[in-house]
Amino acid sequence: MTQTENLVKRLPNDIGGLPADPIQRIEHELEPWEKRCHALADVLDYHKIINTEEKRCGVEALGAEMVGKLGYYERWIVAFANILFRKGILTPTELALKTKEIEARWAEAHPDRHDDT
Amino acid sequence: MSESTHHDHDHDHPHAEISQSERPGFYDVMETAVRELLIGKKLFGADEIRHQIELLDSRTPALGAKVVARAWVDPAFKSRLLANGRAACEELGISFYDDTQLIVLENTEKVHNLIVCTLCSCYPRPVLGLPPDWYKLKPYRARAVSEPRAVLAEFGTHIPDDVEVRVSDSTAMVRFLVLPMRPNGTDGYDEKQLAALVTRDAMIGVIPANAPTGRTAR
Repeated sequence: MTQTENLVKRLPNDIGGLPADPIQRIEHELEPWEKRCHALADVLDYHKIINTEEKRCGVEALGAEMVGKLGYYERWIVAFANILFRKGILTPTELALKTKEIEARWAEAHPDRHDDT
Repeated sequence: MSESTHHDHDHDHPHAEISQSERPGFYDVMETAVRELLIGKKLFGADEIRHQIELLDSRTPALGAKVVARAWVDPAFKSRLLANGRAACEELGISFYDDTQLIVLENTEKVHNLIVCTLCSCYPRPVLGLPPDWYKLKPYRARAVSEPRAVLAEFGTHIPDDVEVRVSDSTAMVRFLVLPMRPNGTDGYDEKQLAALVTRDAMIGVIPANAPTGRTAR
């Protein structure tokens, strides 16, 4: 089978049966933002804004490089943003402005921490 | 000082992140931004996120262990559990906060079950809480379906050749839970003592339920 054939037959999430490394029993307590992200996913599902399958497809649509390099909840939140843009619920401009607002809010609450922007 | 002196408080967003002393990372900020924008558009309330975090925190493998222990002592409950996992869990007061169905797979002398989600990370969250990282990572997802005995061996579980290994691949709508075999030497145990022997990993199917230690559990 050629390299490109493999790309067509296997999307990034479709890894069942592929050779892979030994299992490492990695576990970690979720970071506060990761837990919020999980709660957000559930609430988006309850309100039929983004369901589980749309989320999974949204992650897959990030492409193999991002799927491979981003963390689990990093993939989720980026996928949510993309899906919300596509559905016309949010715009990239709104997200950019809100991001600035949040960063400014943090800076305001930490006036001694203007070191590393 | 920053120019953003006016701070609109017509929505009730949580200010927890302000108390955080580390500068929030890129994805942390993105989560906050997406959530606050959607709350601002009244698509849901901030209280719903808080409630869901509490709900997630309330789900641990102790719930699954309670279900398993009940099935071990009550054959009629076990039949109902195997017939309809969700309904039987709800009987014990375990609510399903999503649309998923639950299929409970019984381990026997002849069959050992293992659960996986090859495509992502689907998991019986209402009864076990959130999955461990290894369940979501490539090695387990890729190999559990093609070489389950080798994967089990890496967890220290050696399944005899005459025992069939069945691997069930979860979906967004259908989740699985393994009902491990009741360990020998637990004849006099009550449900609470039995539940203490049932671990998360035993209900994923990568290990058996713990053997009694010889000490009587209190």
